[in-house]
Amino acid sequence: MFGLQGEKMSLEEAVINDILSRVQKPARYQGNEWNSCLKDHSSVSTKMVFAFPDLYEVGMSNQGLKILYHSVNLHDGLLMERVFAPASDMENHLREHKLPLYALESRKPLSTFDVVGFSLQYELSYTNVLNMLDLAGIPLRSENRSMSCPLVIGGGPCAYNPEPLAPFFDLFILGEAEEILPELLLEVGRLKKVVSSRRDLLLHLSNYEGVYVPSFYQPLYEQGILKAIKKLEPQAPDVVKKRLVTRLDDAPYPVSPVVPYIQAVHDRAVIELFRGCARGCRFCQAGYIFRPVRKRSMGNILKLSESLIKNTGYDEISLSSLSSTDYPSIGELIREMDEILTPGRVKCSLPSLRLDSYAVELAEKLHHGKRSSLTFAPEAATERLRRVIRKNISEEEIFSALKDAVDAGWQGFKLYFMIGLPTETDQDVLAIVNLCRKIRQDLKNRAKSGLMLSVSASTFIPKAHTPFQWEPQLELPLVKDRQEMLRSGFKNLRGTDFSWHDPGASHLEAVFARGDRRLALALERAVRLGCRFDGWSEHFSFQRWHEAFDQANLKMEDYAYRKFDYHDCLPWDHLHCGIEKDIFIEEHLKAIAACQEEENS
Amino acid sequence: MSRIRFTFTREVALAYLSHLDMLRLFLRALRRSGLPLEYSRGYNPHPRFTLALPLPLGVTAGEEIGEVFFSEKVEAGFFIEELTSQLPGGIKLTGAFSVGAEGPYIAALVRAALYRAKLKSISTVHGNARLVKESLEKMLLKEEIIMNRTNKKKKIVSTNVRPFIKEAKMFYEQDKNLELMLELEAGSQGGISPVFFLEQLQKEAPSEIPGVHDWHIHREKIIFVDNPLPAFD
Repeated sequence: MFGLQGEKMSLEEAVINDILSRVQKPARYQGNEWNSCLKDHSSVSTKMVFAFPDLYEVGMSNQGLKILYHSVNLHDGLLMERVFAPASDMENHLREHKLPLYALESRKPLSTFDVVGFSLQYELSYTNVLNMLDLAGIPLRSENRSMSCPLVIGGGPCAYNPEPLAPFFDLFILGEAEEILPELLLEVGRLKKVVSSRRDLLLHLSNYEGVYVPSFYQPLYEQGILKAIKKLEPQAPDVVKKRLVTRLDDAPYPVSPVVPYIQAVHDRAVIELFRGCARGCRFCQAGYIFRPVRKRSMGNILKLSESLIKNTGYDEISLSSLSSTDYPSIGELIREMDEILTPGRVKCSLPSLRLDSYAVELAEKLHHGKRSSLTFAPEAATERLRRVIRKNISEEEIFSALKDAVDAGWQGFKLYFMIGLPTETDQDVLAIVNLCRKIRQDLKNRAKSGLMLSVSASTFIPKAHTPFQWEPQLELPLVKDRQEMLRSGFKNLRGTDFSWHDPGASHLEAVFARGDRRLALALERAVRLGCRFDGWSEHFSFQRWHEAFDQANLKMEDYAYRKFDYHDCLPWDHLHCGIEKDIFIEEHLKAIAACQEEENS
Repeated sequence: MSRIRFTFTREVALAYLSHLDMLRLFLRALRRSGLPLEYSRGYNPHPRFTLALPLPLGVTAGEEIGEVFFSEKVEAGFFIEELTSQLPGGIKLTGAFSVGAEGPYIAALVRAALYRAKLKSISTVHGNARLVKESLEKMLLKEEIIMNRTNKKKKIVSTNVRPFIKEAKMFYEQDKNLELMLELEAGSQGGISPVFFLEQLQKEAPSEIPGVHDWHIHREKIIFVDNPLPAFD
């Protein structure tokens, strides 16, 4: 009857339960969710823990986690558990009790697994990666790990330029891992019995396409400038190519994802319509690294959706992709979805809308009666700048889409813009305010009870493997000036709500997005100085980061403002995203031409 | 339309869920079960399902009660079978009873709840269990125990919660076990939570009485105005 008495519990388990009663949102660390998978550790050849370097609520919304958890646990000989970055209260309790970071399912320490795999979604989570390794008692630097230490691996978008993290990882997987990962894990299990050193283990694994072992490559600098990347092991590939799933219909899909008890950021079922994006916006890394576009068949989508709803009990399913309204027969798909979803009263939603009338028409079909707000991303407010970034949409189209949406009953719109885009001038920035003013003037009388615009401006961050990878980020003082221009512009505009990103955090993100191995030292120092959760404004401290860079004798500006030439060696030149450099150069030249065209006319 | 009331337990493995998390857990389990849920009318229909009394985070329970409406007749035995197969470890269905669809909701019948608070480690009283007992007696002698809460309009509302403490007894086994048995009023007419009770107890001797987190709280059962489960009659 009496909870604790009836169950046998190890001392550690009792301590964990006691800690859980003292922290915020203890369910983050509790596990035992529906569809979570607990296997006997002695029954498998390789044990992996998927580590997400952010809070549980964020990580549990990540589709990559769901896919890999499913594809690995499908195998009898393998197991995958999960761990997330503990919030500071939990971290303090763990450190105080000298308890190692544990995996949710078995509550076993991370160090008892064969592989710890980090999901690298954004640069500002890097300090959490290091802190999690530290909490797990795993040596931070790969060179200090013994044979009995887990293999520390990483994947996700940031693995396309993982150089700032290189010394901390044994290997990275480039590209889509759902097919290679189980194969690789089985191989790890087999090799661990026969090889005698970590180097030999990694040497074997580096033969797999998509596997990048950073310790096999050495960057060469001359007077502080990267000159070349030298391969140290003859067996390792010259250039690491990304892994790619060729047919989505044949790839494993997580139809029984873990259902969190506490509300995740995205608290719904997700069906992926297609991978990749055909649009080719020049600033967008996802648009390039996920190429080519691979479509899931409608029959497969419907079948998977039905299972998803049945297995999870969610009352909403999201039709996910980088640009879902581009699915070839999206109208028909939504009609068919409706038929299978209506009996269970399941709602269907589209996460990203293109700014055109057709997208509005689709959104109308999905929102049976209920009108919240619609989100659009024009990114830039002048046609010239939109041409530069290849966001090909005219002002006329924007207005006609918004008119249709207002007529259909929407009154709230979220509009996403970017500042600091290449070739941007003050006029382009002021145009954001003017565009919003015009939208309000034209539409406020059409809307029944007023029009509300939520405008958000992020700062452009040049990313590796995009046509803008050679471009510098706009200098910090100018970013602040332009944000101020917007703040004062929107102050006088009624019915608009303006928000912006922390300029310091965006600056730091730019530093790491195109960074090299020397940054590892700054990262280590930052963690030691207490930097965590840098993507969360309440935790981010630019000052502490400056201190870390000073200690490492590095300058953030050198990285964020670096303008590369086409012939310069880029830190990620040995990593291939599937698109040749020539194409990026061509696109970059087109962007510059698009800018000049306008000036000449 | 039909209605089923059911009893369940909550163990340590799922103790750290909030009331909203519990509602979500049951709704998803019910949806997965495929049982014919009855939905509310109106703009944003939702399944007609409630739990009798919110269970505080961290508290385990021996006999909780929930209530769900179906659009057609569902046999209690079938209900148990179908829902049990969709519930995670840590929540166990212990009974289900068909009741008429007419009549008050289960939450309207709640009068009080019976709790046991047990010290996780006896060492936290430093061998001075008598002090706990004296403090408890002192606290019960008070005519007023004020609880301040912020209401929806962000105004602070003060309530005297002393009348809601029906009974509070201490059981002590030297160096082994210290438990409190509490009967606390609850429901729409007002009440006091075991967490608030233990906080007040600690205030009597802050440096010597264990804090809220040093207790393991278990709700033995909910007490109703009328017996909500006719099968027990």
